[in-house]
Amino acid sequence: MNSNKRSMAHRVFGWFDDRLPISSLWRSQLTRYPAPKNFNLWYFFGSLAMLVLVMQLATGLFLAIHYQPNPHLAYWSVLRGIQRDSRWGWLIRDMHIVGASAFFLLVYLHMYRAILYGSFKKPRELLWLIGIFIYLALAAEAFLGYLLPWGQMSYWGSAVVTNFVTAVPVIGKPIATWMRGSFVVDLPTLNRFFVFHVFLMPLLLLALVLVHLIALHHVGSNNPDGIEIHDNVNESGWPRDGIPFHPYYTVKDLFGVSIFFVVFFWFVFYNPSGWGFLLDKLNYTPANILHTPADIHPLWFFLPFYAILRGVPNKMYGIMAFAGTFVLFACLPLLDRSPVRSIRYRSVLWKANILMMALSFLWLGYIAHGFATEHNMVYGLHIAEVFYATFLVLPFFNRQRSVRAKVIWLVAAEALVWLIDVWMYSIHAHRWGLMLLTDWIPALYLLLLFGLAIVFPGLARDAQKLPQRLTAGGVFH
Amino acid sequence: MTNKKSPFGNPGALLVLAASLALLSCGAARASVASTQPPLKPITVNLQDKAALRNGALYTLHMCTACHSLQGARYSTLSRMLGMRKDEFKQVIGTNGHHFHDTITSSMPPAIIDAFAKIPSPDLTDIALRHSPAWLFTYLTSFYVDPSRPTGVNNVVFHNVAMPDVFAPLQGLQKPVMVEGLRYGSPAKVAIGVEPLTRGSMTPAQFDRTARDIVEFLYAVGHPHQQQRMRLGPWIIGLFVVLSILTYLIYKLYWRRVDTSEERWWRVGK
Repeated sequence: MNSNKRSMAHRVFGWFDDRLPISSLWRSQLTRYPAPKNFNLWYFFGSLAMLVLVMQLATGLFLAIHYQPNPHLAYWSVLRGIQRDSRWGWLIRDMHIVGASAFFLLVYLHMYRAILYGSFKKPRELLWLIGIFIYLALAAEAFLGYLLPWGQMSYWGSAVVTNFVTAVPVIGKPIATWMRGSFVVDLPTLNRFFVFHVFLMPLLLLALVLVHLIALHHVGSNNPDGIEIHDNVNESGWPRDGIPFHPYYTVKDLFGVSIFFVVFFWFVFYNPSGWGFLLDKLNYTPANILHTPADIHPLWFFLPFYAILRGVPNKMYGIMAFAGTFVLFACLPLLDRSPVRSIRYRSVLWKANILMMALSFLWLGYIAHGFATEHNMVYGLHIAEVFYATFLVLPFFNRQRSVRAKVIWLVAAEALVWLIDVWMYSIHAHRWGLMLLTDWIPALYLLLLFGLAIVFPGLARDAQKLPQRLTAGGVFH
Repeated sequence: MTNKKSPFGNPGALLVLAASLALLSCGAARASVASTQPPLKPITVNLQDKAALRNGALYTLHMCTACHSLQGARYSTLSRMLGMRKDEFKQVIGTNGHHFHDTITSSMPPAIIDAFAKIPSPDLTDIALRHSPAWLFTYLTSFYVDPSRPTGVNNVVFHNVAMPDVFAPLQGLQKPVMVEGLRYGSPAKVAIGVEPLTRGSMTPAQFDRTARDIVEFLYAVGHPHQQQRMRLGPWIIGLFVVLSILTYLIYKLYWRRVDTSEERWWRVGK
């Protein structure tokens, strides 16, 4: 027997632990990692998104084994080879399809959570920025993967998006040809999209998620109260409102995972195409280069961006407005600089504006779901103005404003909106009647927002006094 | 979970404002590319009705596959779906000279179909995923005489369809019920139904039954794992419902200490 009475297993583990920081990482990142004790429902989505990422990698592995990246074989390798001929192929594929949409839903909720509770503010600006890059990588991943089944919507969706760059003068067309490897979406395009989808993007996503986690654990989690728990520590340096991540949040997240899987598998088994939202009906037709569908539109998670793209009556400006939304997201830490983080202690009008941000995003999606009529384009343009406005008015709430400042904000914002409209009228972008139907929406929104701030200053005032300790979750000491 | 405040606090008046804005412009969004929609004939699909499926398979594999393929399906998987043995299937329905495990391809070479219809005939494997059973049923029963078309016929739910009325010998010819309506936003005469013109070899009831069987068969081909889904679904979902309850109890068990006891126990500093 050895002298220190350690068992064989302990000694083997010890050998590894001396050479690899297993137990120290376990301690510092899980059992001794202090998490605020008041996480609510919104805090499930980050860990669930990671779970879905792993699930997409696992199901994608099996799909890639059976998939043929060749225009002559792709469609039937998916719909016959995977869906019908290989055992459980249908289950794996449906999990991958529902998983893609679940990923976006979770990421959108995760991002909105950060906006609600000010999780992008100092010292978490970089954490937010890495998150935006994760979103962009995810969007690229989804777009690349959507071509692979080689259905009609796959094909024409990719054709539309790869044509974006042709908006760039002179070099646009050569770049588009270089990107596709062909003059149209064809075998070279499918091959490279397949490789990027199964190899490059997943690698990038994993790396970004890892960096995201490292950054998170370096600065610590924010919480629904937006109060830094590390500002209030006990004599041994442990935050008074912190609890160890493991086991408290691991058991809580397990509960979230179980609930998530109930909904997830309901879709997988009973509604894999999700009423045509998770998988377009047109994708059950093989791609046909000679037959453009009457209505090309992306899956639900890109619809709001599509409405913005469609709304602007010029390809170049449309793409700039579309890309601008990501710039807005990335600039959020610069726009919203109020020291108060959480929505709980922000003013009524700030809350309304954040609600409008979400509503206008959904609203844009609803518009893009309709046909590309002139009416829907104008309508999309004006709701896009509202969506942009919800970001650009954020600096207004950074501190108390004088009446004069409020009036200047109101006049400037209205002038900007009407200038865009006058410009649209002047270039005859759309018919007068159509423009008049909806161009009052952004103007009225801004008028109400700043008007109410002028008439009722209390509505634009954040809470004057923040609590010293977290207010919910556990006993209040 | 433990959040006692609404994340939106008291949005009150602005919620009402947002809702009314949304309502107003939704109303405005109605002006779009409207087309008069002919009513679809309702149909219920019963995948347990093997006799109907076999009848549908018989008609589909003997009429439709002249021009259409079902490349996703194999004769062998069909026989399993119809509950027939291999020899029984070969005798009653047949494999059109193909191997039993072959996929189902059209009898006519695609070049001939292209030359005739100027467009490739769509594959029928997943047609029931593209269209609802009611649409398919209405489509199959609603061809009408239209001398302006090269095939001499048109369809109520598929305007200017390239497919000829292969059901004319069974169903007889039909004439349209026209109304003044819209097509892509412009006023036009639109067919919303059909009336019999000549008699076919089947009575209307017999033909409807046949068309219904074909739709049921196509639906079954488009949903090859429906039974597996229905069998497995409740178990997997039930498993996670049970797990949700268990993990909730475990979560509450662990968190009782966070919720009730003093903070001192989790002071885990060095």
